[in-house]
Amino acid sequence: MATNKSDFTTLYNEYSVLVYNVALNYLQSVEDAEEITQDVFLQLHKSLHKFQKKSTLKTWIYRITINKCLDFIKHKNSQKRFFIFGKKNQNELELLNISNFEHPGILLENKEKAIVLFGIINELGENQKTAFLLSKVDGLSNPEIAKIMKLSVSSVESLIFRAKTILKEKLSNKFEEYRKKK
Amino acid sequence: MEANNWINDVLNSSNGITKVVPDALLFSKIQNRISIQNTVSSQWIWIAAASFTILVSLNVKILLSNNTKTVAPTETIVSSVSNSNQLY
Repeated sequence: MATNKSDFTTLYNEYSVLVYNVALNYLQSVEDAEEITQDVFLQLHKSLHKFQKKSTLKTWIYRITINKCLDFIKHKNSQKRFFIFGKKNQNELELLNISNFEHPGILLENKEKAIVLFGIINELGENQKTAFLLSKVDGLSNPEIAKIMKLSVSSVESLIFRAKTILKEKLSNKFEEYRKKK
Repeated sequence: MEANNWINDVLNSSNGITKVVPDALLFSKIQNRISIQNTVSSQWIWIAAASFTILVSLNVKILLSNNTKTVAPTETIVSSVSNSNQLY
């Protein structure tokens, strides 16, 4: 056994909320977030002794969680592709990624708008989505995000800027729909 | 103007988000998976050890049986060849 029981319990108590929330923001599903949290802690249990302290434990756990989420999404998309046969074009992928996710941590008055936000976040590229979620939803600073993503601070700034620009463009297209509904 | 306000409201809708606590049973699910992994790994260790023991004992048996055999069959062939000086 790589990690003793009390160490592991302490580790879980300290980081389970972090892991679960990152996974929840990323995957937008309570069940998937629970599955990823389990996978992350299984990996931590197996490989905590290999942690080389080149970064902080928190940064390392963030990286493991994000990588697990990305792998999970890729696996899910490849399964969808397998069942429907053939590669999808951009519009079809956007349709597949449509989400009606109601984040349980969002304030009641923001619920409706947050559904729109989480829906279009899925249309961003991997790095833009990661940078945007860590910045806007997790509330991390740009230097913290840079360490997690192994990028320079300026690259993170530009990723967040581009993500916001894309989101604004997509939202301006959605605004007409919103006005018609109203 | 209205569009801009709406866009900004949507982008800022994650403000004030609270952290969600995972299900209380999640930890026991993880511990369960760890114990299953450990059980599986010890099973494989025993299987590997048993296979290795069988392999070693088979090798020892073959070596011992080869040592006790006589060279008679080979000698018979050699003598029959040298008598007639031809194989057929």
